[in-house]
Amino acid sequence: MSLFIAAFGFGLVSMSVIALAAVGFTMQFGITNMINLAYGEVMVASAYVAYYIDQTGISIWVAMVGGAIFGAVFSFLINRFIYAPFMRKGTANLGMVIVSLAVSLMIANLMLPIVGYYSVSYRERFGSIVRFGSIVLTVNQMLIIGLAVVVMLAIHALLRYTRLGKAMRATAANPTLARSSGIPTQRVIDVVWLITGALCGLAGTVAGLDSETFAIASGAGFLITALAAAVLGGAGQPYGAMVGAVVIGMVTELSAAAWSPDYKQVVAFGILVLVMVLRPQGLLAKRGALAAAG
Amino acid sequence: MNTYYAANLLIFAGVDIIACIALNLQFGVSGIVNFSFIVFQAAGAYAAAVLSMPPDTAADYSFQIYVGGYQLPFPLPWIGGAVVGGLLAIPVGLVVLRKLRSDYQAIALLVTSIIANTVITNARPFLNGAAGLALVPQPFQDQIDTSTDTYQYVYIGLTAVAVAIVWFVAARIVNSPFGRSLRAMRDHELAATAIGKNPVALKMTIFIVGGTLAGLSGAILVGFLQVWAPSTWLYPETIILFAAVIVGGRGNNLGAILGALLVPVGFEEVTRLLIRLNIGPPNLIPALEWVLIGLFILGFLWFRPEGVRPEPRRVFEGSPEPEVERVHAA
Repeated sequence: MSLFIAAFGFGLVSMSVIALAAVGFTMQFGITNMINLAYGEVMVASAYVAYYIDQTGISIWVAMVGGAIFGAVFSFLINRFIYAPFMRKGTANLGMVIVSLAVSLMIANLMLPIVGYYSVSYRERFGSIVRFGSIVLTVNQMLIIGLAVVVMLAIHALLRYTRLGKAMRATAANPTLARSSGIPTQRVIDVVWLITGALCGLAGTVAGLDSETFAIASGAGFLITALAAAVLGGAGQPYGAMVGAVVIGMVTELSAAAWSPDYKQVVAFGILVLVMVLRPQGLLAKRGALAAAG
Repeated sequence: MNTYYAANLLIFAGVDIIACIALNLQFGVSGIVNFSFIVFQAAGAYAAAVLSMPPDTAADYSFQIYVGGYQLPFPLPWIGGAVVGGLLAIPVGLVVLRKLRSDYQAIALLVTSIIANTVITNARPFLNGAAGLALVPQPFQDQIDTSTDTYQYVYIGLTAVAVAIVWFVAARIVNSPFGRSLRAMRDHELAATAIGKNPVALKMTIFIVGGTLAGLSGAILVGFLQVWAPSTWLYPETIILFAAVIVGGRGNNLGAILGALLVPVGFEEVTRLLIRLNIGPPNLIPALEWVLIGLFILGFLWFRPEGVRPEPRRVFEGSPEPEVERVHAA
């Protein structure tokens, strides 16, 4: 039993990491209508930027900000110079999926000669240990949970209580109407790429810290976990992605305790298949913040 | 340029041509973005391998563990590979192709490809895990010495026959009323549904046909290479085939062949030459090759989305008016 209580603790950490990744991914899709399959690779690239800052002796929590800034700028540039021109040209959704997969492949292989095949670790990957009964967490893991809670509250506040959030919701609901109502949708979309890119960079660094080591090859795993959470919650719905992250994070860690840690991603995939068969629109399809303005 | 090198080149070309024709039927003709295409090729290869290998208790094979081991003679492993590729398409298609929007289908298939590889890598008793299968018997190896030039010609001949059959089947499909329905569905699914076409049935059918051909291509490949492992069918391999079909011309079988010769075969050769030149760090050239494939896809989608050999515009003979009169007269 204590094994499962311990797994519950890891579940809390996992869901925090997944939530950071999935909310950014789903907002990109919801607001800019782009299924960005390069998301996992941008996460890895940002994690490496944080790694190089970390290696100079600066704390990982500061390096993480560097990773987030890199993620924001990189995502913004990818959209500006590749995705947006293809969309303006009238490339269909299917074409955009192929474009983003090609971009993903290019990012991974441009990085490869620079960072190499081998996995790397941050200096502070362990830290001291805190016990709550059977739950054993490192200080780093507790900080990750705290960070995720703060970021989720910030996203909530942004979407709910700011003019920018309102503009984002309007752009998601109906871009043409939003533009006619005087919302500068192009600038809103630029800001969305910066914000979601920062989330992506943050998530990459946190995922690298949580999994203790990471490499170029981690990108696919990062992507499908974020994808599973986003689709489970209803693609495009930030609150759905949060719910999806809670479910996927918990179920994968509990299954790892009951079965084998090798199959964490397979369990996430099993959940994804169930959702696609039973409820393709996702759990929160009708109630998410981005579904309708107001 | 010895015989073995030529055989290598021609057989890879044959396998890539079959794969590109199959992907063209799914992606080019029917609009299904099958990002898990390589999984079907892998399924065919594994099936052909375990059908032709002896049981894993046999003397030379005890270092690996796998299911099956039936020692079937040629051509049963090839047929088995094709059948398994087609059978695998049924459950995957039923999950992915029925309800989901087309871009969701693409990402679901991509995830399927990544997970299938993870499962086969980790579940060692099934198909020997990450190490994969080795010492796969070659067709007719008991009758002909496989180290001779004659054997290379025989294998090239067998591959050529398979390519010819696949080409014939694909041409029949593309030019048939069924092919017209597929194109109608790809271009305007709602309109095709309105005139009584069942898009799910159409997609399932071509998904199974494509899976069968992919399985055959895998069976041919494994019979020649004699090894098969998860590292040979990672999801980027599918992207190479997409690049080939996009470059060659979506919806055009000749384009698919051209793409197969330009992208997978051409790149393989260029890389081989470049690696000999020893430029930069050891993994620089292969990495840049992938970057180039990405650029090819982006470049063609931007400048020439219809590819080098565009799909022919199909115009029916005669104007519609006499057609209508004839209907009234009848």
